Amino acid sequence: MHIPDGIISASAAVSGYAATGGLTWLSLRGIRKQYVNPRTGIPRAALLTAAFFAASLIHIPIPPVSVHLVLSGLMGVILGWFAFPAILVGLLLQAVMFQHGGLTTLGINACLMGLPALLAYFIFRLRYVFGWEKPLPNAVLAFLAAFLAVAFGALMAALLIVHATPAYMDAAAERTAVMALSLAYLPVALIEGIFTAMVVIFLLKVQPDLLEGDRR
Amino acid sequence: MFKKNRHAGLSLLVIIFAALCLPIIIAAGIAQAHGVELEYVERNAIEVTARYDTEDPMAGAQVAVFAPDSPAEPWLTGTCDSAGRFFFVPDPEIPGLWEVQIRHAGHGGLLRIEVDESGISPAGTTGFTGPQKLLMTAAVIWGLVGTALYFSRRRS
Repeated sequence: MHIPDGIISASAAVSGYAATGGLTWLSLRGIRKQYVNPRTGIPRAALLTAAFFAASLIHIPIPPVSVHLVLSGLMGVILGWFAFPAILVGLLLQAVMFQHGGLTTLGINACLMGLPALLAYFIFRLRYVFGWEKPLPNAVLAFLAAFLAVAFGALMAALLIVHATPAYMDAAAERTAVMALSLAYLPVALIEGIFTAMVVIFLLKVQPDLLEGDRR
Repeated sequence: MFKKNRHAGLSLLVIIFAALCLPIIIAAGIAQAHGVELEYVERNAIEVTARYDTEDPMAGAQVAVFAPDSPAEPWLTGTCDSAGRFFFVPDPEIPGLWEVQIRHAGHGGLLRIEVDESGISPAGTTGFTGPQKLLMTAAVIWGLVGTALYFSRRRS
């Protein structure tokens, strides 16, 4: 899902940065509304940024390709509005350190992973709408949120890559390769869904206020 | 009459001979058009190997080579073989920074190769070694954990 430099056109990269700017502003406004003291949310965000940063280094071989965990669903479920800035920082570190992604495509990549994280957050918030307190419905909701986040992200990335293939590249071959890669994200979505559900069950038992912070 | 006849017979022989020879001459001519001239010269080729950071080769990845004088139009396009390799010979008439773009399903990278009149720059790579990656990851994680500890400290 990390789009490297030189794959998409300059105009797409610029629009990605513009969208990321807007979403960052929206997230910061959300944080200010939600927290009396935004500093209390930073430790959680920093630790999950570390997890997000390291997750891309853990590869899951799914022949013929190898994919890695994205954790956008987990970020959204636990961090809420903090997820987008956290993902932006994590992506910047990945791009600068490992050339995983790129600096010109940082905006696009932040949208590709940050938007699904916000989607997961809004799905998981349904538990307040329904008033669910027990672990099982919460776990199902967390699974759904993380699963849909990965699927949504993979779909957006595939559409973007196919539409932004330069004329000199073989578009048909690239489309076939993208299809194979997108299907490989299906097991990743399942794994992340189960993982997020387990984390939510664990937090509900051990320290529910880590999730409760997003009540308002 | 007899003398004349003898001349006629001779001419007939010549004509028959010529008629027999003609296909052979034509055939020889055609055979000459099928001849192939082969020659070879020694050139410095560049071997590009594309691997994912899991060490799996990027088999079937698309390659575009850009000459220094036209950064928008590819000078050559091709595909990596099953071992993720791609060979090309840069034009020594166009010195400068040659760029090789590798792309497979949205994954890819850019390799820059310096080519000047004297030849091609020695081997290069875009990746890091395992221990380097480990140290960089540890440093980043420590920085983030430190941030978390800093912001979660009790106010005195």
